[in-house]
Amino acid sequence: MPSSTPKSSRPSESPKKSQTQSQEKKKANTSAAIKKDDKPAGRDIRGFGSTSTARNGSGSNRASGTGKKPITIDDSDDEEEEKVEKKPSVNSKLAAASSKATTSKHFASSSSSSHKPIVLDSSDESLTPPPKSEPETKAKSSAATKVKVESKPVPAKRKELVVSSDEDQDEEAKVDVRPSARKRQSLGGGLGKKVNYLESSDEDEEEVESKPTITTKGKGPAKKKEPSPTKVDSESESESESDEDEFIDDEDNDDRPKKGKAKSKAAPKSKATPRKAPTTAKKATPVKKTTPAKKPAAKLEEKDDGEKDGGGEKKKSTFNWRAAAAARSAGPRAPGSKEIPEGAPDCLAGLTFVFTGELESLGREEAQELVKRYSGKITSGPSGKTSYVVIGDNAGAAKLKTITEKKIPTMTEDEFLEFIRSRSAGGEMDEKAAKKREAEEKKIQQQARELEEREKAEERDRKRKEKALEGTGIAAKKVAPASAQLWTTKYAPQNLKEICGNKAPVERLGLWLQEWQKNYKSGFKKPGKDGMGIYRAVLISGPPGIGKTTSAHLMAKQAGYNPIELNASDARSKKLVENFTNIDNASLDGFFQGSGVKSTTVADVRVDSRTCLIMDEVDGMSAGDRGGVGALNGLIKKTRIPMVLICNDRTLQKMKPLQGTTYNMTFRRPQPAEIRSRIMSILFKEKMKIQPNVVDELVKGVNSDIRQVLNMLSTYKLGKNQMDFDEGKNLVKLNEKNTILTPFTIIDKLTGPYAFSKTSKETLGDRMELYFHDFSFVPLFMQEHYIKTSPALTNNLDGPPKDLKHLELLSKAADSVSDGDLIDRMIHGSEQHWSLLPLHAVASTVKPASLIYGPMRSTGGGPGAWGPAFPQWLGQNSKQGKLGRQLTDIQIRMRLRVSGSRAEIREQYMPLLASKIVLPLVQRGQEAVEETIEYMDEYYLGKDDWDALVELGVDTMSENIITKKIPTAVKSAFTRQYNKADHPIAFHKGDMFAASKKKIADTGPAPDNEDVFEEDEPVPDDVSEKEEEEVNDVTKDKLIKAVKPKGASAKGKAVSKAKK
Amino acid sequence: MSLWVDKYRPRTLDDLHYHEELSSRLRSLAASGDFPHILFYGPSGAGKKTRIMCTLRELYGPGVEKLRIDQRVFVTPSNRKLDVNVVQSNYHIELTPSDVGMYDRVVIQDILKEIAQTQQVDLNAKQRFKVVIINEADALTRDAQAALRRTMEKYMNNMRLILCANSTSKIIAPIRSRCLLVRVAAPTDDEMSKVLHHVAKKERFALPSPACQSILASSSGNLRKALLVFEAMKMQKPDLSGGDIEVAKPDWETYCTKVADSILQEQSAQRLLDVRGKIYELLSHCIPPTVVMKTIAERLVDKVDDTLKPQIIHWAAYYELRMRMGSKKIFHIEAFIAKVMTVYKQFHLMGFIEDYE
Repeated sequence: MPSSTPKSSRPSESPKKSQTQSQEKKKANTSAAIKKDDKPAGRDIRGFGSTSTARNGSGSNRASGTGKKPITIDDSDDEEEEKVEKKPSVNSKLAAASSKATTSKHFASSSSSSHKPIVLDSSDESLTPPPKSEPETKAKSSAATKVKVESKPVPAKRKELVVSSDEDQDEEAKVDVRPSARKRQSLGGGLGKKVNYLESSDEDEEEVESKPTITTKGKGPAKKKEPSPTKVDSESESESESDEDEFIDDEDNDDRPKKGKAKSKAAPKSKATPRKAPTTAKKATPVKKTTPAKKPAAKLEEKDDGEKDGGGEKKKSTFNWRAAAAARSAGPRAPGSKEIPEGAPDCLAGLTFVFTGELESLGREEAQELVKRYSGKITSGPSGKTSYVVIGDNAGAAKLKTITEKKIPTMTEDEFLEFIRSRSAGGEMDEKAAKKREAEEKKIQQQARELEEREKAEERDRKRKEKALEGTGIAAKKVAPASAQLWTTKYAPQNLKEICGNKAPVERLGLWLQEWQKNYKSGFKKPGKDGMGIYRAVLISGPPGIGKTTSAHLMAKQAGYNPIELNASDARSKKLVENFTNIDNASLDGFFQGSGVKSTTVADVRVDSRTCLIMDEVDGMSAGDRGGVGALNGLIKKTRIPMVLICNDRTLQKMKPLQGTTYNMTFRRPQPAEIRSRIMSILFKEKMKIQPNVVDELVKGVNSDIRQVLNMLSTYKLGKNQMDFDEGKNLVKLNEKNTILTPFTIIDKLTGPYAFSKTSKETLGDRMELYFHDFSFVPLFMQEHYIKTSPALTNNLDGPPKDLKHLELLSKAADSVSDGDLIDRMIHGSEQHWSLLPLHAVASTVKPASLIYGPMRSTGGGPGAWGPAFPQWLGQNSKQGKLGRQLTDIQIRMRLRVSGSRAEIREQYMPLLASKIVLPLVQRGQEAVEETIEYMDEYYLGKDDWDALVELGVDTMSENIITKKIPTAVKSAFTRQYNKADHPIAFHKGDMFAASKKKIADTGPAPDNEDVFEEDEPVPDDVSEKEEEEVNDVTKDKLIKAVKPKGASAKGKAVSKAKK
Repeated sequence: MSLWVDKYRPRTLDDLHYHEELSSRLRSLAASGDFPHILFYGPSGAGKKTRIMCTLRELYGPGVEKLRIDQRVFVTPSNRKLDVNVVQSNYHIELTPSDVGMYDRVVIQDILKEIAQTQQVDLNAKQRFKVVIINEADALTRDAQAALRRTMEKYMNNMRLILCANSTSKIIAPIRSRCLLVRVAAPTDDEMSKVLHHVAKKERFALPSPACQSILASSSGNLRKALLVFEAMKMQKPDLSGGDIEVAKPDWETYCTKVADSILQEQSAQRLLDVRGKIYELLSHCIPPTVVMKTIAERLVDKVDDTLKPQIIHWAAYYELRMRMGSKKIFHIEAFIAKVMTVYKQFHLMGFIEDYE
């Protein structure tokens, strides 16, 4: 809504919305009588769709009228009232008067059925006389309703009254005098009077209008809540009301001090102060305070429902509990059911929000975005600094506790939306913040000016040079004019102050560079106070785009060095590094000794004592740069000039050598706040209008990559000079596309606790997009993960039904995964139906996720206890493959004696065979060795096959158990015995010949091949291994000898490793 | 010192204990000189391969029993090297193309052509053709089977094929029509006990009939299994007397039983996760997924309430089909177990079950 519209218009809109909802609910709840009412209300709303200032006056009336009406109970109340007293007539009259005055189209509807008119009337001039009688009736009516369950309207009414009373000072006194039970009535009276008072003064017209709207607002939420316990109603009323008040307050800042008081009441800044007079306001606030407290009590009595938590809540008199209870009982509502308000820009500036629980219509992310959009701050947990906590369904108990403890004001979603809608631009920033902001702006402008000046100077300089060189025939070194430069060059920081973030490391770098010559002279022996004095080189590491290279250049220049940069675009192999830097060249020495006969060059740049070598992208030394890092390390050890090495990840294996020789300096991503002012000044200079919160969003979107932000903005400037929040989001999204998510993140996203909640705004397409990040892995991860959540869909159940529901969901998910596999077969099988990929995405990933999304269940430790685990399937499948090959080997060896296929061997032969050749060793030990070997020979099985056979066992025959049961002595005896003799072999494998040939070739004690590969392996001192090797040497058979060493030594190695 | 099942394997058609009629037909076929392509089919452990070897012996004499194993290397069009183990004698060659999975077509084409194009060189050979035995013919891919078709006719002069399969359903019709179909049915209990007693006699002890009965019961028509169980039992309890002779179950079967029991013990996500681990273990240790599923399902059916039995059988069948159609077997087994858990839990919680979808 345009901010230009009178304030009254803004409030008027909200009631309309709230009414619709409330009406709908009521429809369900209440009798047919309501229906009639509903219709006009609906019309109202529609009429309001296009809010025009002209209509506002009537609009507010109408709104309030309808608001009341929906409260069917009111109708009944009215009737009762009629019976009891003459009040109704007054009401109608008033209504008529008001409607006439406002000339509302919907007058008839509004006045006819509802109580509301009264309220409206109250704001009308004609009302003056009746006030006193009115409260009376109301009291009675409420009393009457007490008996009935449907007392809801009453609170609503009361609320209005209260509000009005706030405004009215004169009446206040009377009100206070009355007994507490009567308070409501008195308030009512107050309202009536107040109205008059207000009306009487013409200049106040505007205010008056706004006030009725306020009241209606109060009602709006109340009505909405109606399905929930009544207490909540009163609660929300008071809160929302206070919100409005606040809104009003925003306009006049004098009232600020009162805030404290209001806060004590826990209603968010309910310094309900009419601008009229601060004094009145003060009075008003206490009244208000009392009302909410009392009302719940009254209501409790009225309500026969006997909500259990009602009492407890009341006692605590904390809003959040009730709100949470209300949200819970309200049950699920359709997502997007509420219109997202369009607040004034920056209206949440200076406020900090915390969200907890599941909101009704907004997703968590959406809500947070909303706050950011209006320059609010979000924190994850409530703390003393939190301005508001927005509470949704199933809010975390811990959070609620802190909230109550710290007395942080809370609001429901509706209130939150309303809050945004009603707050004025710029929000309510305290003076400090405002000042700070101002200062910031000034600074930005200042910086921008500096930039401008510098640019101009450079331009002049460039022109001068050009002129000077003109005609000399010397080709001027072309410097592009500033306008033609990339922003990243143009706005590269020119001094320490301009570097964003990482101030400390950058300063240390500068210091180190300055001290370098001194340290060099002292031979790098003195660590200095920060311990950097012993290093000849510095290794800077950090993510891209945060100014590592820039800082290095800048600091080198500042320290008076002439930086030479070598980066990944230069070949940096071992040879080249050694050559082009002349490390081993005498000429370098010559130079430094001062003879100056020859100069040294690096990359065609002269090296002198004031040169600094910057090796950029050191971790990019790969493939072509073989040995580069090692050579570099050699260079570092000898260097006579400072070297700055830059890399992204210093934990890489290949960066290891540099660990000891360089000083480690880690650059971190700067906080968005650190970048913001720099970006803002650049934007100012470029005459782009972008709000700070948008800049923050951009910066955060690219992970504080300054370079990317600048590039994005410079590209964006080609089209537009302004950017609003949404455009910023889009821009980030566009640039984010390039990043590939890992399956772990994808699974997290897909199965997060709110991933498929009704408030989630992700489309099916978005989710399929996640699958397509890695369509071969994601389904496997999903299959691995789906059992490990505790589904959000079972949240509302308990006990066995919950378990059953969980199982049902699991079964459905498993079915879907199984479907996915069938589809996968069609894709990867002979048919190659790649067009089925989207279907596969849904079946294998999205559908299971939609069923079982929810927080991770604790699965009793093990892998994947803290997030999605790597799919077991891959490991198990390759294990199956390996064992399968071993089984094939066994089968083919046995083939000469046995007719069975692989499966038959495994299923039928192996158990018996095991009892013939494995179990005897377990049971009888060494004496069974002979017999075992005999059997093995009979079936042409070798020692390897015996191992494989053991490995293939499951359950009681599993490898672990069996190998544990066989004593080592028996094992080695078995091995020795087996190797002693010749054994029949079924056939020669191809590789056996190759191996044997080699063996025959060298006659001496054959060097073990394995040892060649593992040069680091110390000479095996393991006794058992030696033993085995000796045994190998003893064996006479060449063929077996050829095969054996491999297995035996490998085994020995495994043993020795295990021992290590 | 070999196992009884191998020790007492019949060598000639005359030694065979059952299917006399089939033996005599094979004998006359071998004698006729007009030996056709044959497709032996029947359940595992019925004696197909034994009969094939007997027939070959009938054809060529004892020479066929001099077996050797070769490892041949085949190269696929995509330059992948395949190692295939081939068992052969001078007169025949036996291979299991399904060992190389989807590349079996290459093996079939190469090896058949090679054999078919070389004539029998041994002038003393009784037959002019060589025999190629293809094991697990029902596991051949369609491509491989198609590759067989023409070869079977074209090289009839030099080569006869003997296919060995568990069922003909996966063998394409053109091949079935080119073969003489020989069904080797599983032996009846009488026939099996005859064999068992024969073995016992050779081993010089008497087999008491209760022991014989329990062996028969546990081996369900699989003679190989029966003999193996027999020997295991003899090892366990040398005198074989006494009524309650427990037949030792193989490791994987007890493990499957444990899995089934744990399913019935508790139905929850955590249990499903545990079961998944166990199934992975079974599968990775080369227990065929169908066997795993079948064993678990049978155990479940044994244990559950009568009303649930049809459900479990239904879902086992449903998921087994899917398993055969899919490629990642465990997904389907897991789905089956999740389903069973749901149905079971529902039944015990609500006392009724929903109809199958």
